Amino acid sequence: MQDLGYHQDDKICALATGWGQSALGVIRVSGEASLSALETVFSRPRALREASGNSLVYGYILKAPGGDPVDQVLVAVFRGGRSYTGQESAEITCHGGIPAVQGILESLRGAGFRDAAPGEFTLRAFVSGKIDLTRAEAVHEIVTAKTSRAHDLALHRLSGSVEARVNTVKTRLVKMMSALELQLDYPEDEVGDEILPAPEDAGAERRELEDLSATYRAGRLYQEGIKIALTGRTNAGKSSLFNLFLREDRAIVSEVHGTTRDYLESWISLAGIPVCLIDTAGFRDADNSVEAEGIRRSQEISRESHLVLYLVDGAEGMNGEDRKVWENREQSGVLVVWNKVDRAEAQDFPEGVFPVSALDGGGFDALQQEILRRIHGDELRMAVDSGQAVIDSARQKRLLDRAVEALGHVESGLRDGAPLDGVAMDLREVLDSLGEITGEVTSAQILDTMFSGFCVGK
Amino acid sequence: MSNFDFDAIVVGGGHAGIEAALSLARIGRSTLLVTQTMDSIGRLSCNPSIGGLSKGNIVREIDALGGEMGRLIDQTMIQFRILNRRRGPAVQAPRAQADKFAYNLLAKKTLEEQKNLHLFQDTVTDLLLNSAGTSVEGVVTERGRRFTAGAVVVTTGTFMEGKIFIGEYVTSSGRLGEPAALGLGKALREKGFTLGRLKTGTPARVHADSLDYTKMDIQPGDDQMIPFSFSRRTLERPDIPCHITYTTEETHRIIRENIHRSPLYGGQIVGTGPRYCPSIEDKVVRFPDRIRHQIFVEPEGADTREVYLNGISSSLPEEVQEKFLRTLPGLEHVHIIRPGYAVEYDYIDPLQLYPSLMTKRYRGLFFAGQTNGTSGYEEAAGQGLMAGINASRYLDGADPLILSRAEAYIGVLIDDLVTLGTREPYRMFTSRAEYRLCLRHDSADMRLTDKAGEVGLARPEALAALTEKRRGMDEIKELLRATRLSADENRSHLERFNGRTLEQLLKIPEVEVDEILPLIPGYHGFPREWLRQAELDIKYEGYIARQDLQIRRFEKMEKMKIPEGFDYNRVEGISHESREKLKSIRPVSLGQASRISGVRNSDIAVLMVLLNRKGPAGEGNDGSENPAL
Repeated sequence: MQDLGYHQDDKICALATGWGQSALGVIRVSGEASLSALETVFSRPRALREASGNSLVYGYILKAPGGDPVDQVLVAVFRGGRSYTGQESAEITCHGGIPAVQGILESLRGAGFRDAAPGEFTLRAFVSGKIDLTRAEAVHEIVTAKTSRAHDLALHRLSGSVEARVNTVKTRLVKMMSALELQLDYPEDEVGDEILPAPEDAGAERRELEDLSATYRAGRLYQEGIKIALTGRTNAGKSSLFNLFLREDRAIVSEVHGTTRDYLESWISLAGIPVCLIDTAGFRDADNSVEAEGIRRSQEISRESHLVLYLVDGAEGMNGEDRKVWENREQSGVLVVWNKVDRAEAQDFPEGVFPVSALDGGGFDALQQEILRRIHGDELRMAVDSGQAVIDSARQKRLLDRAVEALGHVESGLRDGAPLDGVAMDLREVLDSLGEITGEVTSAQILDTMFSGFCVGK
Repeated sequence: MSNFDFDAIVVGGGHAGIEAALSLARIGRSTLLVTQTMDSIGRLSCNPSIGGLSKGNIVREIDALGGEMGRLIDQTMIQFRILNRRRGPAVQAPRAQADKFAYNLLAKKTLEEQKNLHLFQDTVTDLLLNSAGTSVEGVVTERGRRFTAGAVVVTTGTFMEGKIFIGEYVTSSGRLGEPAALGLGKALREKGFTLGRLKTGTPARVHADSLDYTKMDIQPGDDQMIPFSFSRRTLERPDIPCHITYTTEETHRIIRENIHRSPLYGGQIVGTGPRYCPSIEDKVVRFPDRIRHQIFVEPEGADTREVYLNGISSSLPEEVQEKFLRTLPGLEHVHIIRPGYAVEYDYIDPLQLYPSLMTKRYRGLFFAGQTNGTSGYEEAAGQGLMAGINASRYLDGADPLILSRAEAYIGVLIDDLVTLGTREPYRMFTSRAEYRLCLRHDSADMRLTDKAGEVGLARPEALAALTEKRRGMDEIKELLRATRLSADENRSHLERFNGRTLEQLLKIPEVEVDEILPLIPGYHGFPREWLRQAELDIKYEGYIARQDLQIRRFEKMEKMKIPEGFDYNRVEGISHESREKLKSIRPVSLGQASRISGVRNSDIAVLMVLLNRKGPAGEGNDGSENPAL
């Protein structure tokens, strides 16, 4: 555990929103006497002092006590016990520009705050009993969630739905455990075999946990998003299609240039899934001497992508290289897109390509549907749409898989007539794993893994 | 310390007192055992049997640690059985019917013959403290004698302020016919201890000649007796059967009609009884749908006609007991020799003890046995042994011997008592042990005898036997690994396994070690118990490996020690309830802290953070900082 050796009550501050140009930024402070420390660099100290918990105070953050204003802010005041961390704390809403944020943090440091370590706010919330582990993890994801659907999922989990689903299974397994233990605690001649759990019962619980574990992929999908690469020959219309995606789906991260300026990438939201769209345009635009390098880079990006869209210029038809990709499509999973179907000469396309017009948007909906179909199976989609609990932390996934594996041992043990003490041991393993998911079982590793994945300010 | 009369004093001569006194004396401490009635040493006050599920494991652990209980029962048993053979290796356990009178005599003789041990008949009524009032320095008796010592182990069982109930009859007594120990309970309360009341009961003893055994099922012992003690290989003892009968609807009707005359239901008894070993009144009231309850008819000894009726303890008036007993098949003409009764007694809240069983209040003062709120001879003896060992360690200023939950049922027992406390008589169950696959009765010597050696309690022959066993087990396992079933052996039902090793063969559930041994060329024989143990090790290898993983996770928390004197008042962010619990229980490790009821996980997380902050020093167990444990 890296940074958990800190005091629990000292004053910490951190930017809770992302660094970068944005309308508003939120800076969090927490710790003992954090409000009186904040007063010293606040234009209206008395208003702050007299503010009740859960109220807003308007004013300026000052460069130093009695100094010039840095920025106009709204301070949300939280008195002890009623805040996120359980401690006295505040959230300062300021203007989002980097200079303003930097200036305020500077003032706060001067007023006795130190920079928070990653996850420190949530750790404090956890140690003050404000949230359990699944909720602590959900917080992490809300703040890093890339689209609103991901945000919903995380919120849903924050309200404890994973916990609820795990607990339902756990309750039934505890019953099973008691039945087993009864057999083991009393001699054979006093308690008969009549109440042994059935292997089918263990199987049903195993499948339930497997289903929950399987939502991990969906969870990750919504959490981390996927990469889609647009490739194809020069002038096949990659840039036009790229722009069409940006126009149709709200780009949620501003367009940035690739590190080497030879490709463009942009985050878009496709049915709620964050998609990093990469336009490899430009690879072939350079002269022949760098063409080899261009191909290499293009291939590299394609390899790293979850899905590759290969554009064919429909007006020109397939050339040799296009044909190679086309014939290889089953194996490679490449989605071949027949662009420019708005043109008369592009009407003769083979079965199996996706005809679109990047110019007028024809065929675009069908293409999007196909992309969705490719990136997640129907089942996952349903699980997510029906609002079921979805897990998306690796820790939960690992524990669920451990429980599933042990439950498999229980099932086969009961079926094959294995010794009951062994079966009971495996069942206890299942229960321990489930307990760890909701934080009921504290084991030395939980905190190790838990708070290391957090960002500063959370 | 040299001017004390003794190194240590043991108060009480029950199963805890015996082990405490013997272990102290055997380590070389001059020891005084004070008991009220010399003739009652090691008496089996309730059922005439030793062992059973998890309890049998405890007996073998006691033996592996250099204690006496296994040797006593080996020489006095009159029936032997392995229970739960079908339900798995970890939960099967040995149980023996004891000749109650022979057991009692042998225990007394063993104490009398022990070097360094002095016996004295009197009743301890108070403790002597040092002038600072911080540690114990001896005892005061009813007859005004004062004995001084550096350590005192209190094992008063059910005798402290004991009270017996039979219907409306109430008398001050610790066991029928024996006076209670009065005064000590009051003195302990005055010295600041929290004491509570517990209740237990025992059934009637009846005359064998008044029973009709033809109306009962017979329950014979196993053909082969396996000694509890690891220092014996074989055992030849008489085998006397038990019998089984059942209560009837008529029995239940009589009990219901007279329930108001039960001191339990009439309100005279305030102490809590054991849920797991209910009186027949409790069974009838709590399980009204059950049409019958099983009753075991067990001989009290080889040379007596007294018979014990296991499962029907009662404190109803004697004439009611006789009336309902006569409704059981085979008991129509039963003649009661001693009636059943309930006994209520003082126990000390074990949360006041360290895992060493020393009190947190006074150094050098230890409590062990039923007086700590447990039930059962085996549980008492296990604590007595550990209290004796740790009293001796204390006299040396050495670290106490603490057995972990993954190491011994005794470890589970003591950890539960000092971490969770108890509000009813605590009985051991296999389900209390998280890692019971590693707590098999046959492996107790492998787990514990080395530790007994380290504290100076293991007999040299036990250490030698263990070395020999380890070598033998290695040899057996190597043989099984190395021997392949070849085609020319051609044993019909194993033929299909040709080419496999015997070890692989043994992993098949239905294959037993006995049938494959003759397949080993030049096989010369090993003790049966070793073979059986090797077989279980191999058969359950997968389970054991998974259990080992669990144990490693468990040990992580156990290894995070909390320094003695850790100031919980200065820990921010833990709940008030947790803080108070932690302050009073003063857990020695984060593992123990995490088992305290009412202490939240988030509080444990805070402690973990704080202990981690100390870096390697906080993590490592610095036992020298912690002499009082």
